[in-house]
Amino acid sequence: MDVFGSFSLLLAFVCALYAFIGGIAAIYTRHPLLIKSTRQAGIVTCVLIFCGTISLEYLLYTDNFSMAYVVAHSNRNLSSFYKFAALWAGQEGSLLFWSCLLSVYVISVLIAYRNKNGELMPYVGVVLAGVQIFFLTLNNFVESPFKALGTVNASGALEMVTRSDGNGLNPLLQYPEMVIHPPNLYSGYTGFTIPFAFALAALLARYPGEKWIHLTRKWTMIAWCFQSIGIMLGAHWAYAVLGWGGYWGWDPVENASLLPWLTGTAFLHSVMMQEKRGMMKVWNVWLVFCTFLLCILGTFLTRSGVVSSVHAFANSQIGPWFVGFMGVILLVCFTAYFKNRDYLKSENQLDSMVSRESSFLFNNLLFLVACIAVLSGTLFPVFSEWFSGSRISVGAPFFNKVMIPIGLAILFLTGVGPLLAWRKTSVESMKRNFGWPLVAGAVGGAVFFALGYREAASQVCLFLCVFVTATIFMEFYRGAKVISARTGMSMMMSAHELAMRNTRRYGGYVVHFGMVLIFIGLAGAAFNKDVQKTMNLGDSMQLGPYTLVLQSGDTKVERNYTAERMIVEVLKNNKQIMMLYPEKRKFSGNEQQAGTMVSIYSTLRDDLYVVYSGQDPDTGFPVIHAYLNPLVKWIWLGGVWVVMGTLLALMPNRKATLVLAAVPETSPATAALQQTLNPSVSLREGHD
Amino acid sequence: MTKRKRSIFLIILLGLAVSPLLTIRVAAQSDHAKAFGMKLKCMCKGCDMTAGGCSHPGGAFSGPCETAKGMLKEVDQHIAKGESDEQIMQAFVQEYGSVVYVEPPKHGFGLVAWIMPFFYIILGLALVVFFIKKWRKQAINAPATAHAQAAINPTGEFQRARAQADRETEE
Repeated sequence: MDVFGSFSLLLAFVCALYAFIGGIAAIYTRHPLLIKSTRQAGIVTCVLIFCGTISLEYLLYTDNFSMAYVVAHSNRNLSSFYKFAALWAGQEGSLLFWSCLLSVYVISVLIAYRNKNGELMPYVGVVLAGVQIFFLTLNNFVESPFKALGTVNASGALEMVTRSDGNGLNPLLQYPEMVIHPPNLYSGYTGFTIPFAFALAALLARYPGEKWIHLTRKWTMIAWCFQSIGIMLGAHWAYAVLGWGGYWGWDPVENASLLPWLTGTAFLHSVMMQEKRGMMKVWNVWLVFCTFLLCILGTFLTRSGVVSSVHAFANSQIGPWFVGFMGVILLVCFTAYFKNRDYLKSENQLDSMVSRESSFLFNNLLFLVACIAVLSGTLFPVFSEWFSGSRISVGAPFFNKVMIPIGLAILFLTGVGPLLAWRKTSVESMKRNFGWPLVAGAVGGAVFFALGYREAASQVCLFLCVFVTATIFMEFYRGAKVISARTGMSMMMSAHELAMRNTRRYGGYVVHFGMVLIFIGLAGAAFNKDVQKTMNLGDSMQLGPYTLVLQSGDTKVERNYTAERMIVEVLKNNKQIMMLYPEKRKFSGNEQQAGTMVSIYSTLRDDLYVVYSGQDPDTGFPVIHAYLNPLVKWIWLGGVWVVMGTLLALMPNRKATLVLAAVPETSPATAALQQTLNPSVSLREGHD
Repeated sequence: MTKRKRSIFLIILLGLAVSPLLTIRVAAQSDHAKAFGMKLKCMCKGCDMTAGGCSHPGGAFSGPCETAKGMLKEVDQHIAKGESDEQIMQAFVQEYGSVVYVEPPKHGFGLVAWIMPFFYIILGLALVVFFIKKWRKQAINAPATAHAQAAINPTGEFQRARAQADRETEE
């Protein structure tokens, strides 16, 4: 199977080369057969990559310990669930997984548009094949996952060996979320290849700027959605498994996932400027180019070892390959832009400083500044070493100080932007739109203050959260009221109808609401408390309103690990409310690392987060570390709303129908109209 | 009770009275060390956390690792000598290099890290204001959209490309 996998990848490389070179020839010759054959070569490339991926999964499932990758990342006792996840546990496997997910997108595009956009698709196919060639080069010649395990014998010859068992999967990865977090994150990274390919293709084909936007909007939203889910799951994994009480530590790997998300978010907003007003075409093209480049840069940062990270797979020698690839991308993008920039001319006009257009400009500014700040902070240790000779670390305190004001400004714009009219907003309209939300924000802020959330940044954040929620609510309320008046439907049904008629707009509001919930959760971080104590059985400790009593401890022997478990009783006002079972796991085949299973009592007000730290090295007694983290649950709820909103925005608009509402007294004119109209016939109504 | 016994008794009483103060002093030093440890990177090279907040994920003991404990102990020793926070930080920088900072220092090259975000914001704001002014001017000078369109591409090449793109693509 290893030979099959290896050969599949090699053949995929050849097919991708053909799709690339043949595609270029097809663009020049416009020969229909050549166009068709290069498209089919693209499809075959994807199928062969799937074969290679399946081969590696087969080797993992069948415990083939003659393969170096299987030995390094799996063992016999590993459950099937985690054997599947071992595909992306190591460098070679995760690069193959990159190619595999990219192929899912590529094959979808090639099949979905096989009979459409005939002139543009050869360009798209060439760009996609170019990206595939790069990753297949890594898969075949640099980091092959199909290397056999070998050893040098006494005579100096290389000898194939087979081990009886493997080293096992990194314990930190043996958690259900790690089976779904990387696929989502990678789907986000690879998904941004599609808008990049269309943008570059449209530029090369000299299409005016607006065309590719329509073609790729859904693909961009899908990639953004996956990226969002991946980031949220990663944060939840860090919270539930690493046992440090937090969910975001500004680790370079975390930052790398955030960078394309920030530019992707900026793009999803600025694209509306282009659609509505024909503005910012050059900007949008470069935003998509940058988003794709940041996906590659993120992969480079986390895999090259150029910045230190807690992620163990980070160190390797593939950095120069990524630098070279980024160089080629930049060169191609610049060349295409300078050659065909005339086709991106925009009708840039602004009627007023206070308008939706200007709010989008500020929105993009903030997202870009956030992105550059995170990027420069992540790379600063490298820069400092280059320029000053000594490496200066940049940790979470720096990022928190820099990003909190930017985040609050973005939150402010989330509330203000949607209420501003296109072209110009009058003072009366501002008063009408902002009056109640401001009052609601002030009341909400006061309530949070009374509840004890008294810290400047958090207070501002919570005020803004209520303000933004009120603006979103008012948008739904106003629209639903109109529909309700016209149709006689209830307000709830009208709100549903409203959202379905303009899924993109109201889906966007739902995403904004999700972000508000996330910000509420983030605001709670300022009030975290923790206490660590060595405890004997029956000992107790107090944390906020909770009393924790160590009742007992036991040992669980599972197939792949042995868990030492503490049983902690949680009391509030002397009443038992919960039993918590924090664990420390020792995995077979990987004695160097231990796994922590945190036990959490989660409410909307706070999380009681209990970690069994292990035995006190001096006394041998169990050490319990408990954290009280306010409002964390709001973050995960917010993540769900963000995903729901994106899914709503991806749905097609429902055609609006105007149904005459029943009126209590029928006027002669209405009666005549009703007689004229068949009740089953409804009037079409345009709706934006 | 002899004079000697009385003296010993008094010393013991005094000792008992003072001991809570001593305990408080030790605790205060440890709290100070932990707070200061939040500004120091744990140098174990395994966790990338602060010395004060080290929980060493993946370790057999999820608490401060031995390196972090050692660093906090060292902070305590510096505090006991009466050194200021700045002096303690300098001592750690001398021992480990500037990699021991959790956030860049606000002097020397580290200052660049702090200035950069503000620089981006100011530069970005200046650009946004510049473009808003420019585009407002364009709106005043070209009141009709058709006129603006003609100004963009008087040759009609742009319209030709747009028509071609419309013809050749569908969503």
